[in-house]
Amino acid sequence: MRIARNLSSLTLSAALVLSTALASTAAHADKLKIGFIYPSPIGDVGWAKKLDEGREAIEAAFGDQVESVVVENVPEGPDAARVMNQMASSGAGMIMIGSFGYMNDGLKLAKRKSDMTFIHASGYKTAKNFGNFQTRNYESAYVAGMAAGYATESNTLGVVAAYAIPEVIGIINTFTMGAQRTNPDISVKVVWLNSWFNPAKAQESARSLVAQSADVVFSLYQDTPSVVTVAEEDGFYVINTSSDMKKYAPTKLLASMTIDWGPHFVSQVQATLDGNFEGTAYWGGMADGAVGVSSLSDDLSAEQKAELQGVVDAISSGSFHPYDGPVIGQDGSEKVAAGATLDDGSLLGIDWLVQGVETQLPN
Amino acid sequence: MSDTLVFILAGTLAATVPLLYSALGELVAEKTGMLNLGVEGMMAVGAASGFVTVAVTGSHTLGFLVGAGAAMLVSTLYAVVTLFFLANQVATGLAVGVLGLGLSAAIGKRYEGTTVDALKKLDFGPLSDLPVIGPALFQHDIMVYGSFAVIALLWWVLSRTKLGLVIRAVGESPDAAHALGYRVRLIRFAAVAFGGAMAGIGGAYLSTAYTALWADGMVAGRGWIAVALVVFGSWILPRVAAGAYLFGAISLLELSIQGFGLNVPSQLLSASPYIITIVVLAVISRNPTFIQLNSPMSLGQTFKPSS
Repeated sequence: MRIARNLSSLTLSAALVLSTALASTAAHADKLKIGFIYPSPIGDVGWAKKLDEGREAIEAAFGDQVESVVVENVPEGPDAARVMNQMASSGAGMIMIGSFGYMNDGLKLAKRKSDMTFIHASGYKTAKNFGNFQTRNYESAYVAGMAAGYATESNTLGVVAAYAIPEVIGIINTFTMGAQRTNPDISVKVVWLNSWFNPAKAQESARSLVAQSADVVFSLYQDTPSVVTVAEEDGFYVINTSSDMKKYAPTKLLASMTIDWGPHFVSQVQATLDGNFEGTAYWGGMADGAVGVSSLSDDLSAEQKAELQGVVDAISSGSFHPYDGPVIGQDGSEKVAAGATLDDGSLLGIDWLVQGVETQLPN
Repeated sequence: MSDTLVFILAGTLAATVPLLYSALGELVAEKTGMLNLGVEGMMAVGAASGFVTVAVTGSHTLGFLVGAGAAMLVSTLYAVVTLFFLANQVATGLAVGVLGLGLSAAIGKRYEGTTVDALKKLDFGPLSDLPVIGPALFQHDIMVYGSFAVIALLWWVLSRTKLGLVIRAVGESPDAAHALGYRVRLIRFAAVAFGGAMAGIGGAYLSTAYTALWADGMVAGRGWIAVALVVFGSWILPRVAAGAYLFGAISLLELSIQGFGLNVPSQLLSASPYIITIVVLAVISRNPTFIQLNSPMSLGQTFKPSS
């Protein structure tokens, strides 16, 4: 049930009170009401869409046991706090907080409402009833990089990247190392957009990389299919993050790196229902089914696909980690020694690129 | 290297189109003394409504017409409030701009993240295949070539016709123009409506030809750049147009430089189109008297007919 699906954040409070008041007279008391708050509209693809697919997974798993309330396109700040408070006061037992910037308001609410549980996207704070969740997209980037290494003829790969933050840097590194595994001569050029959102500039960046002989372009954290559609038009291979974008580039999509919050959401709802929720910091990877690679191009041979699947299996089983040493930094120094593996703490704060990336980090 | 040169030459004309239409429309409005700061919002409305039209009907012609019309409606709101209720132009322009951004989000909501077929490129046969010159000049859509015609036509109207003289007279001294019997408010209204339509075309070009997708916020500041180009082009049409091309070219050059791996902070590179355009336009109009002479005297002032 999608109450308040199309309301602006200014009018939603009143509507929420009204609708939930109506709903609660009808609903039985032991039904778990779950609030979902997203920073952007639920589009065809992208961040809010992926979170909402997690919500659908909950509904599919629990059916009548749960009832969900969605409020989308809520700016971070007072509006978000108001929405979450409304959800709490109208009987929500659990809230899924869909943006980094909602963290402190959500945590404040969690401290007041110890009987409620909260899960928060991409944050770093936890409490007994407040957990957070992120994905290990560097794992799928490694596999996508291997595909790029197979597909390229110019041995030059391009990356259209948002900001030089640790998560993005970590992904560029494993993408590069994956490509080097299947094609040792690879070099990678990066254009930093310094913007989360500018579809026109993302397209221009992709074209500028192709002009500099890249024949595979990696659209890294561009929330729209901007780069993917250009790839189909101009005829170069493309890899993208978050959603499967095959339909935007039916012939030129090499692979989509996907995320799936469903399994984690379902487990957290189960824990809430069972009364054993713990505020954990969840960093889901291939092993949990949280990240994956989909829509591999048919231009890859069966052997190549089998090779990729082998690595997926190795990462899932824990026998291989993309940051297994030796890892050589861009400056030629050894970042991870042979036999060692980069630990999660270092990975969360990574601030160096690997050898093979031509572009420097912005400083 | 030569591929990069071709990339910049080929990309500049198309990258400049949204800025060009919007800035020229704003220039005409400002020439009559109407400082409309709502360009960003008007472009967004044009982009959203143009996109939805193309998505539904498949016709780009209709898309540009609807985009222009919708943005024109938003601009006439600004014109009515400032001309007939004598509201402050700056505040009204900002308010209408914000309204336009909100409207565009509402219009495009169902189409968030979807795509349409881009406006077709014209086919010039063998000319399109010429090295460098082909991609630079002969592989574009009709709106790119149309922008040349618009530049020429507007330049001719503003500097060589009686209509242009009247437009400038209204901007220089609305009281004198009024005393001479010209209908100042009507002329200003028409100029603002024209500016709105042009911004709508610029926005629709962005969403149906340049990127061919709709996403809330995709105008991404281009409306503000258009306003700035008018001011830094010191209200001289060829200079405003040249500023737009300069900005378009440097924003593409910036991306290429990043790919070359030069060790320049990318944040600085991202800012470079703004910095360089401002510096160049400021240098060529560094004579303050010159700017004063070209700035419409009544710019931003409300006008109340004396009788």
